[in-house]
Parts: sequence; C-alpha cells; structure tokens
Amino acid sequence: MRILLVEDEPVLAQQIKSVLLTEGYAVDIASDGIEGEKLGLSQPYDTVVLDMGLPGRDGMLVLKNWRGAGMRAPVLILSARDGWTDRVDGLDAGADDYLTKPFQMPELCARLRAMIRRKSEQANPLFERDDVVFDSRTNQVMVAGHGVSLTAQEMAVLSYLFHNAGRLVSRTELSQHIYQHDGERESNTIAVFINRLRKKLGDGLIDTVRGRGYVIKSPE
Amino acid sequence: MTSLRGRAVIGGILWAAVTITLGFAGLQSFIDQGAEQRFDELLLARLSQVATAVENVAETPEAIQTAVGDPVFTRPMSGLYWQVEDEFGQVFRSESLGQQSLPRPQMLASEIVTDSYPGPLRDPVRGMSRTLTLADGSIWHVQVATSMRSLQQEQAQLREIMLTAFTFVVVIGVVGALLQVTVALRPIEKLRRDVQQRWTSEGGLDHGKYPEEVAPLVYDIDTLLTRNREIVQQSRKQAADLGHAIKTPAAIMRNELDALARQGQPVGDAIAALDRLDAQLKRAFGRMRAQTGIAALPAVTDMDRSFGRMVRAFTDMAAQRGLTVTASYPPGQRLRMDPTDLEEVLGNLLDNALKWAGGAIRLSAVAGSDDVTITVEDDGPGIPPDQIARAMSSGQRLDNAKPGTGLGLSITADLLQAYGSALTLDRSADMGGLRARFRLPSVPVQG
Repeated sequence: MRILLVEDEPVLAQQIKSVLLTEGYAVDIASDGIEGEKLGLSQPYDTVVLDMGLPGRDGMLVLKNWRGAGMRAPVLILSARDGWTDRVDGLDAGADDYLTKPFQMPELCARLRAMIRRKSEQANPLFERDDVVFDSRTNQVMVAGHGVSLTAQEMAVLSYLFHNAGRLVSRTELSQHIYQHDGERESNTIAVFINRLRKKLGDGLIDTVRGRGYVIKSPE
Repeated sequence: MTSLRGRAVIGGILWAAVTITLGFAGLQSFIDQGAEQRFDELLLARLSQVATAVENVAETPEAIQTAVGDPVFTRPMSGLYWQVEDEFGQVFRSESLGQQSLPRPQMLASEIVTDSYPGPLRDPVRGMSRTLTLADGSIWHVQVATSMRSLQQEQAQLREIMLTAFTFVVVIGVVGALLQVTVALRPIEKLRRDVQQRWTSEGGLDHGKYPEEVAPLVYDIDTLLTRNREIVQQSRKQAADLGHAIKTPAAIMRNELDALARQGQPVGDAIAALDRLDAQLKRAFGRMRAQTGIAALPAVTDMDRSFGRMVRAFTDMAAQRGLTVTASYPPGQRLRMDPTDLEEVLGNLLDNALKWAGGAIRLSAVAGSDDVTITVEDDGPGIPPDQIARAMSSGQRLDNAKPGTGLGLSITADLLQAYGSALTLDRSADMGGLRARFRLPSVPVQG
C-alpha cells in the first residue's frame, strides 16, 4: 500500500512516515500544496494524508482539484483546524476522513487502515483464506495457527493482494503500490517476493496468471 | 433617566401649562375689563338719563320718577337706583331704593365719580355721581347705582366658556405634542431597528438616510459596529493561527514521546502533561470562541444549509460504524447564531451521540413562534441524572473507555450560553439514550 503524505512540517512528516513504514506502507512526502497536488494526480496512491494549512496551495483547494480531476484515492485530512465547520467543509470537498492535530499515531493508522478497507470494500480487517490469516490491524500473519514472520516488502505485497482479492494485479501495479516514489523500482524483484511468500504461506494462496500478474482469490 | 419621548412630552406639557395659564389670565383680564367698561358705559347712560330728567322737571322734583320713566327704578330692590339732592339738601330717590339711601361721595363740581359700595341688599353696587348746574343756576347732585351681580354673572359665564375652550386647546395641544414627538423620534426608532438588523445581516448603516441631527451618531455607530466585527474576526483568526502554531509542535512532541514509550522509556508523566496541555488548549480555544461568538457579525444561520451539511457528514460517519442518523426539521428557518458556532454545537452533540449510540441518532428541530428548539438524541446508555452537571463541566469525562477529551459538552454549553441559550441534557423518552436540547431565536425572513 502506497501513501501520499502532504505535510509542510518536516519533523512531523518524518515521524508519520517512519510509523507508516513500520506498518508496511510505502510513503511519499510532499511538503507543499503544489507538489502534493501534482503527486496525487500523477501517482497511483492507495490513500492520502493531507494537511490543510499548506504553503503554496491550501489543502482544501488541493483536495478540490484532485476530486475535480477524478482522483479517487481515499483522503484523510490531518489538520489543526478542529472546528466542525472545517471538518464538514473538508468532507464535503471529498475527504473520506478528518483527524485533528494533535492526534494519536495509533488512531491515524487505524483510520488509514479503515479507509483502505472501505476502498477495497473489505469490511473485515481480518483476511482469511484456507489456513492463512492476515490481520491488517497488526500486520500479523498466521498459517494454521502459527505466526509467520514477513519482511516489510513481503507484507506490502501480501496486504495489497488481499485488499484487492479477486482481482488480477499486474507486476507493474504491485510495484507502484509497494515502492515509494524515490525508491528503486524493479518489477523483477516482485517475483522474488511472491516466491518467498509462497514458501512461507504455502502454494495455494497466490495464483500466477502467466505474463499478466497475480491474484488472491475472493473468499467463498 | 427618562426616555426621550418622556422628556419631550413632559417638557411640552410644562411649557404648554405655563403659556396656557398666562394666556388664560391675560385673556380673562382683558374680557373682565371689557365687561366692566361696558357696565360703566351703561351706568353713565343711566346717569345721563337721570340728569336729563332732573333738567326737565327741576321745578317739580317729585316728578323726576316719572321723568326717568324706566320701570326698573320703581321695582323695590331691583338693583338699579338713583338719588338726587338739591342745593338745599333735599334728597329725592328712586322707589327701588325704598327707605334706604346711597352714600354721597366726596367730589369736586366738575367731575364724574365712580365708586363701589354695598347696596341696599348688602350686595356690591357700583355708583356714578355728578354735579349738575342748571340754566337757572340751581345746583343738583345726581347719582345712580347698579348692582354688580349681573356683571359678576356675566364674568363667571365668560370664564366658564373660556375654560371650556382652553380645555379643548389643552387636549389638542397634548395630542399634538405626542404626535409631534412620535414623528420627531421616528429616526431614532428606525436607527434602533436598523442596528438590530445590522446584527443579522452583512449590510452597514446608511447614515445618509437619517436627518442631519442623527446622521453623525448613525455614522459613529456604524463605524463602531464595523470595528467591533473586525476585532472579533481578527481575534478569531489569531486564535486559529495560535492554535495551528501550537498544535503541530504538540503533535510532534506526542509522537516522540509515544516512540520513546514504545522503546520502554519512562515517559508516562510527560505524556500525561502533554494530555493536560492539549486539554487546556482545547478548553481555552473553546472559551475564546464562546466569548467572541455573540459579537461575531453577522450572526444568522440558514438552518437548511447547516443542518444539511451536518446530516450529510454524520450520516457517512455513522454508516461507517453501522449507525443510522435521521433528521427532521422545518424548512426555511433562519437562526440567530453564527453558522460556524451552530455547526460547532451540532458537531459536538452529534459526535457525542456517535460515540455512545447503540444504533440510531436523531436530529430534530421544532419551530415555535419566534424560536426553534433543536434536539439531538441517541439510543445509547445516556447519562444518569446525578452526573449531568459533571458532564457539562470542563474536562469531566464520564467514561474513559471512549476516546475524547471530555470537553465537547462543556464547550457546547459555554458556546450556547454566550448566545443566551442553554444546553439541557436528559433522557430521550422513546430512544432511551441521551437527549441534548437547546433553543435559539429565529430571525424573520427579510422581505
């Protein structure tokens, strides 16, 4: 899952990024409204964290421009503007959630997970296929009742495929959603992650459609 | 201090009383003098009448009575008398005098003397005397007298007529004064209405539409209102800027502390202090908002718009938690409250309902003749009656299991209080959870 974080306060942005990285997300930071708007329109983000009081272009205008241009990624507004009028203005402009500063980091993470689940129409944060259980709240994976340790990239691939269960996901799409903008992007490595996941979780979970991509089947 | 109208009316009445009294006294004296003059002229004619009779019948004074002729002199005590005295002191009298006589005044030969004295019936009479020298050289003293009762009656009658007329004038004067005051004070009334309306609309006061005496005051009031609005907006903006400036560093500190806590560092006290700081700030900003709320102009909310926005937002939020929001409110209402303040109140109440509701939240409004009662209810556990006061006091969280600062209800109560309203918390009759109610004055739709 790849997240765009539009926040002009560099320390806060780094704090949020480091927490989101440990949660298995790929994170791009934009430090002003103009850059944020450009990234949001050019990259396929799974979700966006958007500050309101931004230099260059106000967050509200950025959001309106995104929605006007058909950008559909769920957006969480993270703002010091805590009045209900501001919150409703933000929601009316197309935001999916609104969190006010100061905030608790676990709450931000929970809300992002919920937004991503809603977008993928997965009501349950617990994904189960046969004997594999993936808890998107804690990023824990169990196979037949036993905990399995995954690397951050393996987790990102698994999470993206579970959230898009039933849909064929190409290698390019996968790499776009698990790597951040500035990171190295090598679609061959995707095959490596898939192989490692199969070794750890069994062959039956992820199907390969030769030359096109991967799919985790929908629950029965 | 009495009202302008009172001052103008009392002043007008006092002034009218003085002028009417003076006018009444002057007119009465003029009329009395006229009546007396006419009385004296009549008396003089009587004197001439008697003098002529004396001239005609001087040789036989006994015949004067017949010569005077007027029967009123023969009726006893008729109030009209004559008395003639020859140079030898012999006195002849009208029959009306009976056995009584008229007092003879001290006088010179050439003059006609007028005087007053008690008459035969002890009633006041006015007498006129003269000395008559006939062609034969005989000297006669002639005098007539008339009772003044008729004069007094005439004067009394005139006074009565005048009094009636002046009473009429007074009534017309007072009514006129009241009308005049009303007309003269109309610009002040208009100013009061305009200032009232100025609270509920963007437009300024047009001092050009007022009389020149009031226009400078209108201009000053308009300037004052505008400055007040600017100050309020500035202080709100400053509060928002300050909030922004503090909240982001506070968020950074919280994240650092949380990270340290995850590493097992003993930062519990620091986190607790930061919690207090956050709560204190939230409370302070809530207070600031409440204190500037009532002065924030223009303070009118289109209920359809604000309710629509809040219902839309909360329906989505509720749906994410499997809750439903229903709303019923009369259309076309305008409320006497700043829109952001009303949305803050509704947001806090709906947010609280969202936290506690079991399945349903209801927002409703009922319009009275000049106000609207707004109610937010839920089907959650509600608040026991003995804890309601605590729920509305600052920072009192009744249940730490739910997220929040516990400030929502107290900020809401403060905000409503600043608008002269009040938040009432009790149990919803049909939903069983908390029922929060408040009332706001409605603003009539301007034509």
